[in-house]
Amino acid sequence: MKNISIYRPTTIDQAIQILTQHGTEAGVYAGGTDLLIRLKNRLQQAPTYLVDIKKIDNLRYIKEDAQGGVQIGAATKIAEVADSDLLKKKYPMLVEAVNMISSPELRNASTIAGDLLQEVWCQYLRGGYSCWRNGGYICYGAIGDNSYYHSAMGGRLCYAVYPGDAATALIPFDARVKLATPSGTKELTVEQLVPGDMLVDGRIQSHVVRYNEILTEVVLPPPKPNVRASFEKLRPRGVWDFAMASLAMSVQLRDNTIEDARVVFGGIAGKPLRETAVENFLKGKTLSPDLSGQSVSLALANAAPLKYNATKIDMAKGLLASGIAKLNGTA
Amino acid sequence: MEQLKAILFEPVGCLAEFPPKPFHQIAVNLYGRKGKASRSGSRSYWHLLNLMEASGGSGLEALEVQAVDEASIYEDVTAALSELKAMGVRCFLVSSLSSAAIERFLEKCPHEFDAVWTRNNSGGIKAAPLAHAIEAASVAPENAMFLTDTVEGLNVAKSLGINSVLMMNDPDEARRLAMHNPAGGIVSLHELPDFIRLVAAKNARRAIR
Repeated sequence: MKNISIYRPTTIDQAIQILTQHGTEAGVYAGGTDLLIRLKNRLQQAPTYLVDIKKIDNLRYIKEDAQGGVQIGAATKIAEVADSDLLKKKYPMLVEAVNMISSPELRNASTIAGDLLQEVWCQYLRGGYSCWRNGGYICYGAIGDNSYYHSAMGGRLCYAVYPGDAATALIPFDARVKLATPSGTKELTVEQLVPGDMLVDGRIQSHVVRYNEILTEVVLPPPKPNVRASFEKLRPRGVWDFAMASLAMSVQLRDNTIEDARVVFGGIAGKPLRETAVENFLKGKTLSPDLSGQSVSLALANAAPLKYNATKIDMAKGLLASGIAKLNGTA
Repeated sequence: MEQLKAILFEPVGCLAEFPPKPFHQIAVNLYGRKGKASRSGSRSYWHLLNLMEASGGSGLEALEVQAVDEASIYEDVTAALSELKAMGVRCFLVSSLSSAAIERFLEKCPHEFDAVWTRNNSGGIKAAPLAHAIEAASVAPENAMFLTDTVEGLNVAKSLGINSVLMMNDPDEARRLAMHNPAGGIVSLHELPDFIRLVAAKNARRAIR
């Protein structure tokens, strides 16, 4: 492991100051389940200066706001999200999704912000290959084994998929995040937070958080009435793994008519992929198992699988069919 | 990698999919090559160049023109070249094909390249068009990139000190070629502008440190 320095600021302002001082050589350290592995694997891109935010007060909470929404502090453990009675009551689909993240041990250590902002889990990057995200200029995943952790929807230099489950599950609720920046607080939707591979501060990353910004809070708006939601995930190993394909889906009903819909695929693209063609198709329709066939045929029209991962598209379409069946109560 | 100011495009396999047969036919007719044609137009082309280099002589222009006629321009060429031009990156067409074949190619792929170098106006094949392109444009080799999809192409670029970038058309072939340590690799031409931006950003970061 390379030599590192650890700072332990006690306020967000101090943390931002340190991050600003060290530029892209520094990184935020909370749960460490992604960051420490990158360091142990001696990745060139891993930071040299760790800014441990665990000593900062008020970053670890789950609380209801006055409007009936819920705020989750950035350093809240995934296990705490999974065990929260408040979240189970208000957003059961989110709880279902986070329970499928990794293993119980890792859920005890990793944080909600860490899950949202984690680095991709391409085996070539993690194996220290000199790829786009690790000091090089080539994507080994595009030409190597791309069966599991690479995009079937095209890429932009890097073809690894965005690996987080929390973002996929948060998007149907129109969740937002707050970022502390040197110039104040910035608020984004989760969809804006992880738009797919971007060139940010001279690095390729899946999210838009700059080197001296810190994600401080996830904000869930009050649950809408008459919403049914489901989350499903297919993974190489049934016990715990990243998604080969996942689907977070919600429909808002009036009587049995779909007024609004969210269809978000995970594990198949460089971002949580909202399938607006299916969403638009579903709106105004009566919720019934008959919607499944046409939804599946409309979905993922722009698929661009790599040599070994076309099956991910079949998986995703299968999840859509089973998701609709689940919302119908027929699964 | 240094800041990239110029890109050298070999049309065969990088801007268009060429059929192997016409190149193979030239090799058979001129050099008595035996055996079947390769399945790859690029490999047939570079095999032919190897024969030309070893034996001297020139190719059969008519068959080269036929190869161009049968080539399919990649769909992302126009958009990528336009974006590169807007970014101020100089784009050169460099090829060991004859001028007649390249003229026909430019009819199919009408882009205003900063310069076009063929075996006729550069006086040679393989490295000659590349060397003339960067010399005439006063571009340092380390500031240039040569896009290629063959090991011969990679070696030619390396021999001149130009960054060799792999066009990864066929994943299996690209995996083999990646063992030859290209300076980089792309899956699609639409990635080139981001490639240039990333190199520039990394250099800017390095300069700040």
